[in-house]
Amino acid sequence: MTAQQPAPVADPPPPVADGAWHRVHPLTPLIRSWQTLAVLLVVVLQDAGQNVLRQAAAQGGPGGPDASWVRGVAPIVAVVVLLVAGALALSWRMTRYRVTAEALELRHGVIVRRQRRARLDRLQAVDLVQPLVARIFGLARLKLEVAGGSGSSIELSYLTDTQARQLRNHLLAAAAGLVYETPHAPEAPEHLVADVPVQRLVTSLLLDLGVLGGVTTVGALLIVAAVTAGPAALAGLLPAGIGVVTLVWRRFTGSFGFTATVSPDGLRLRHGLLEHRAQTVPPGRVQAVQLQQPLLWRGPDWWRVVVNVAGYAGRGDNRHTENELLPVGTRAEAVALLAQVVPDLGLEPGEDPLTVVAAGLRGDSRRPDGYLTSPRRARWADPVAWRRNGVRVTHQVLLIRRGRLTRRLAVVPHARTQSCGLSQGPLQRLLRVTSFHVHSTRGPVDPVVPHLTDPDAARLLEDQAARARRARRLAPPERWLERRAAEHGLP
Amino acid sequence: MAATGTPAAAGAAAPGGEPFQPPDVDWADVSARLATARRLVACLPLVALAAAGGVLAVLLDAAWIWVIAAVFVAAAVWAWGVIGRQVRSWGYAEREDDLLVRHGVLWRTVVVVPYGRMQYVDVYAGPVDRVFRLAKVQLHTASAHSDAYIPGLGPQEAARLRDRLASRGEARLAGL
Repeated sequence: MTAQQPAPVADPPPPVADGAWHRVHPLTPLIRSWQTLAVLLVVVLQDAGQNVLRQAAAQGGPGGPDASWVRGVAPIVAVVVLLVAGALALSWRMTRYRVTAEALELRHGVIVRRQRRARLDRLQAVDLVQPLVARIFGLARLKLEVAGGSGSSIELSYLTDTQARQLRNHLLAAAAGLVYETPHAPEAPEHLVADVPVQRLVTSLLLDLGVLGGVTTVGALLIVAAVTAGPAALAGLLPAGIGVVTLVWRRFTGSFGFTATVSPDGLRLRHGLLEHRAQTVPPGRVQAVQLQQPLLWRGPDWWRVVVNVAGYAGRGDNRHTENELLPVGTRAEAVALLAQVVPDLGLEPGEDPLTVVAAGLRGDSRRPDGYLTSPRRARWADPVAWRRNGVRVTHQVLLIRRGRLTRRLAVVPHARTQSCGLSQGPLQRLLRVTSFHVHSTRGPVDPVVPHLTDPDAARLLEDQAARARRARRLAPPERWLERRAAEHGLP
Repeated sequence: MAATGTPAAAGAAAPGGEPFQPPDVDWADVSARLATARRLVACLPLVALAAAGGVLAVLLDAAWIWVIAAVFVAAAVWAWGVIGRQVRSWGYAEREDDLLVRHGVLWRTVVVVPYGRMQYVDVYAGPVDRVFRLAKVQLHTASAHSDAYIPGLGPQEAARLRDRLASRGEARLAGL
């Protein structure tokens, strides 16, 4: 396949979507495997150095005998290096991509050839990722999520910074159904919705109950161990301490310098200390959104916003930050983001969306506020949070509130519910209550309304099936700008 | 108000009060062969153990081994009954726009899967299933939670359901 057409190597950017096959940047293999290479280099150097020293010591003086050693090992090292370099170069040569108006195609693999094609109108999210090393060389990785379960994403690594950005703009424009005349897709204008100052990030991490719990547990264990078994026991507990520190560090670096902006392309999230990420989530791609508040964030009234996006599976290194729309923010920022993701709550005329959301954030069943709540008898099954359980159904969305210690408000558009169901355990059956589930794509938001009365749950299930059906029929097209153009009478 | 006792269990009385028995839904049962297959798999080892215990008891003339054998027999009888109830609890209903699947005795669930949300349909038949001419139909949506499956269908019924779901899904397919 290499012979068919001489692909332009190291092309200077011009039109990205020319339909021709391109190669990724030649430095790619080096950056992808720099960690292994560095380790190898260190090992080899150390070994060689030691050998040299030992032999020098044995000879008792400077005398060139180390040359024999070098002569013995150097060819092996050279062969290995050549082999590795050859393999890397080959894999680079075999990796090619092509962008057409409808799809992105990627071919790679030396022994097993793979070809993957992603339809752009199914695009769920585009991430521009720059690990530290890539940043030094001005390169970036482009990651496309297309709905198709786990492992359905396409990664182009690495492109130059400008190339990657132009490609992203083109992909988003194509996914939106936007036609442009200029050689490059215009970069969508953005305006800032929320950002996270470092100080707030640090404070919020320290106040997060989970992290706090981990730190105090490890601290307590350390003290107990030091008192009872002496300092020797500390060594055993060190891994736990390191684990907690790593977790906090990861969250910190992942969310560092977080900004959320809004553009016609959708929400754009930028964050990362060492590894820069710029995620773009187009409109209508958010399957479910949840505002949540750990116990100790109540004082400053901070909230975290997480989302389910098909393809963001919440796994791997970046599982803590990938699904976060806002790691920590004031209530106003969180609600503003919610409004961006779910522009229309579908309330009755005359109702104030802010009151409805506020009731979902802090309200409970002691004050009737339009939410359908758990009956009093549910306290036997859910003694702490039963008052908070509640669901509000509007024309467009379900608002589901839960949790008394960690408050949560999940919002699921009817058009995005996959399926729904009921469940009831033995205790619930005794209490005549049933939980109502809405099934969303994989992610941190699991919309469940626990412990509704049996008739309420049955009615909710029946109605929700009908509502979801209607909403699906009215759902906007996958190419979100086409609709807007049509609405405004443009071609 | 408090944990009022047992009548809830038989609470089918109130109309709409029984969420797992929605009105005007015709539930189709799964094949009774599923019960046979599961009973065989569960009870056979227990009965074999009980028999081994009996033989040992006779050979060693030890009365206490009879107790162990009796426990195995009791377990087998209990499993027999439980499996019967479990299998009877499975049910599915094809409605105009969605498929309902219910199951569970102690932990009961109902799932409503719209045809337009189905991404693909799987049909499985394991070795035991094939002996008893059974198949399992599994529906997949974009959600990992709506894990709806129907075990113990006859092969023809499974094939019919699969084709029907596929064709209905195609007609109503929506994006995510």
